[in-house]
Amino acid sequence: MEFGPIFRALLNNRTRFWLILVEVALTLAIVVNCTSIFLEKRQSFLAPTGMDTDNILAITTEPFGENFADEEFVESVGEADLRQLRSHPSIINATPIHFFPLSGSGSSIGRKAAGSEIDSVGVGYFMVDEHGIDTLGTNLIEGRNFNSSDIELSSDDDAPQNIIITKAFADRVFPDGNVIGSRLSNRDNEITETIIGVVDSMSNSWPRSGFGGQTMLLPGKPRDNREMNYLVRAEPGTIDSLYTELDELLVSLENDRIVTVRTLSEIKLRYFRRTLMAMKIWAAVVVLMIIVTSLGIVGLTSFSVSQRIREIGTRRALGATRAAILRYFLLENWLITTAGLIIGTILTILLNYALAQYAEAPKIDWILMAGGATVLWAAGLLAALIPALRATTVAPETATRTV
Amino acid sequence: MTVFVYQLRLAFKSLRRNPVLSALMVVAIGLGIAVSTASVTIYYIYSGNPIPQKSDVLFHVELDNWHPDKPFDSDHPERAPFQLSYRDATAIMQSDVPTYQTAAFRGEFIVFPDDDQQRPFREHIRMCFSDFFLMFEVPFQYGNGWDEAADQTPESVIVIDSEMNQKLFGGINSVGRSLKIQDRYFTIIGVLAPWRPTPKYYDPTGDPFGKPEGIFMPFNFTPVLEVYSSGSTWGWTPDSITNHEGYMQSEMLWIQMWVQLDSATQKQAYQDYLDAYVIEQKKLGRFARPLNNRLLNVMTMLEEQEVVPDSTRSQLVVSLLFLVVCAINLIGILLGKFLSRAPEIGVRRALGASRSSVFIQHVLECEVIGVLGGGLGLAISVLVLNLINRMLSTGEHLHLDLTMVGAGLLLSLVAGLIAGVYPSWRICHVAPAVHLKMQ
Repeated sequence: MEFGPIFRALLNNRTRFWLILVEVALTLAIVVNCTSIFLEKRQSFLAPTGMDTDNILAITTEPFGENFADEEFVESVGEADLRQLRSHPSIINATPIHFFPLSGSGSSIGRKAAGSEIDSVGVGYFMVDEHGIDTLGTNLIEGRNFNSSDIELSSDDDAPQNIIITKAFADRVFPDGNVIGSRLSNRDNEITETIIGVVDSMSNSWPRSGFGGQTMLLPGKPRDNREMNYLVRAEPGTIDSLYTELDELLVSLENDRIVTVRTLSEIKLRYFRRTLMAMKIWAAVVVLMIIVTSLGIVGLTSFSVSQRIREIGTRRALGATRAAILRYFLLENWLITTAGLIIGTILTILLNYALAQYAEAPKIDWILMAGGATVLWAAGLLAALIPALRATTVAPETATRTV
Repeated sequence: MTVFVYQLRLAFKSLRRNPVLSALMVVAIGLGIAVSTASVTIYYIYSGNPIPQKSDVLFHVELDNWHPDKPFDSDHPERAPFQLSYRDATAIMQSDVPTYQTAAFRGEFIVFPDDDQQRPFREHIRMCFSDFFLMFEVPFQYGNGWDEAADQTPESVIVIDSEMNQKLFGGINSVGRSLKIQDRYFTIIGVLAPWRPTPKYYDPTGDPFGKPEGIFMPFNFTPVLEVYSSGSTWGWTPDSITNHEGYMQSEMLWIQMWVQLDSATQKQAYQDYLDAYVIEQKKLGRFARPLNNRLLNVMTMLEEQEVVPDSTRSQLVVSLLFLVVCAINLIGILLGKFLSRAPEIGVRRALGASRSSVFIQHVLECEVIGVLGGGLGLAISVLVLNLINRMLSTGEHLHLDLTMVGAGLLLSLVAGLIAGVYPSWRICHVAPAVHLKMQ
């Protein structure tokens, strides 16, 4: 093969060699690191919420009428709302709730297994009634759902409440299993709750945080004269029409309040807006980077071809085929790109390390590194192809004409 | 000087000779400048000092009354919670040491517009003392803040921001108009000029880049209207809160406290005051943790809160590397362009042009490309920042100021220089004889 001549040619033209090499190496380092950050963010956004997110509506109602000073009035409005919502043909189920999952605002608390020496862990909680699990669309995998007596009991402050927790939280607090019937306590070892059920998964209000899957459901109907909120699970395909309808429906039941209807997906998008923004920026940087580097290789190789017009002509005159010329340039380029990728691998790790020092940087996955290298190999070859094809059109006479 | 102008003319002439290639070079460097200026700007804004003239004399007050056995922040056990309980905040508001002082928190109310066309809406309201406007130098468009007498009574007065004034009154001077909030009427005493401190330093618990509240109300309405915090409330005691009185008397932390202390002696006096207060409270069985009363100035507080998002920092590093790659690209293109001109330079050298003048001419050409690219890049980065503002839709406020325009141009000059030095050096070392022979 032509490795010998290629090496000697490269030694004669070290500048171009180094420029492409550094460029490819830096590009690999940036592309792989950016992609890795991008994928990490994407994963946190796409991670399953454990709920029927696409079909859930979140409704806030904020009373302002004077009638609402009366607790019984609040109760009656709350019950009427729920009856109306649950009887609507496109609604599967509805539950009262205070804060919304995936919203970034909510309540959390420290809990541990009663009697355990291990320190308590954070858990986000929501208060829902016996329709909560069905409305959320999460699956009960152990134990039982709330019944009306659990809901009644919730108003009695002294007795431990019956609660339902997620598997993620159960695994944290009871690593040995035996969850149903076990009790939780606060940091001061006061018994607080008894577990009656476990659901497979459900995000709390902070899905991006380290404890985003640690959730518990308390029985109750959170409502007062400042806020009465609901989650509604719609039949698939009906969420858009419900979206506009529910506002009027609830206002027609009781006018003296502000009703705001949002979809749970909307709430999730808002919570993740900075993540999504960052994802777009990282993706743009990766794409721009590959384009700029490819253009750079086109430019440098073109220059090298035009500098060697006479040399190419001579080779053609001495019998080299067009294919041989093409092969020569592609091979040369491939060698430089490969050298760049080898240096680039080291640079990638260095950059990853540097970023991790004072910013976020997930560990580099080797598959990702291989993927990045393959893309750059392909881009480098494609970029070299344009000038290399031009080189094959050099006529043999060129060699004699210009000397 | 005339030589410089001549050189500059040569540079432009050379750029015009191959407009496509020149445009390509300008775009190449422009992209690099656009990406790096945008991320430098984002970093600069996010890590900026929101109140440079006073950030050293404004102090955030923290008292450590967290759980006896456990620090508030287990990663930084030396820190205290960065909110106070209502009873401590109102107690230390009695001090006469600080130049200005305010306890504050964010509440939520229902506002009833006078106009029948608008339905009532819910609005965030900052509960604060009269000093809030003075110490944070909040700008007023109409009227001004309330006075200390209004703090004490409290008088039914409010300050609204310009956006709220636009929404409720179409932007007219609404001082003296009244507005129904919850169950009573408040008189508007002041309207703010547009005000967007970034980061929103006065509330370390909320979104650091969020908007200030639209309405400001005397703090002492807290017990009257039974206002709960709509921001964060932290607690470690097991007692549950059943009513607003309980909320105010509890160890729950939900109030932010700021003081202005203009000298070291004043600061020491206030520190002594706080220590004395806490020691007194310890006798009542409160504040079980070791004495740890902290006064943090604005920038120290922002650093502890780590308001600069992590990804902003990585974006800064990566975008500067991106610029380097763009510059390397430019080196390649320039080398090709310059060396193809070798015969011409050979003639000029043979006719007596010095090496240095050939060198300078070419570097200048590169700088022209750099600056043109810089201009293009700045224009693109303005577009990018506006796009980001729109996509975040929280009324984010990213924009280029003069400093950043200067930084962008400086970056483009540096990039032009880095890219230009080597090709120019190569071309000025062309041996005249070789090229003369070839002609």
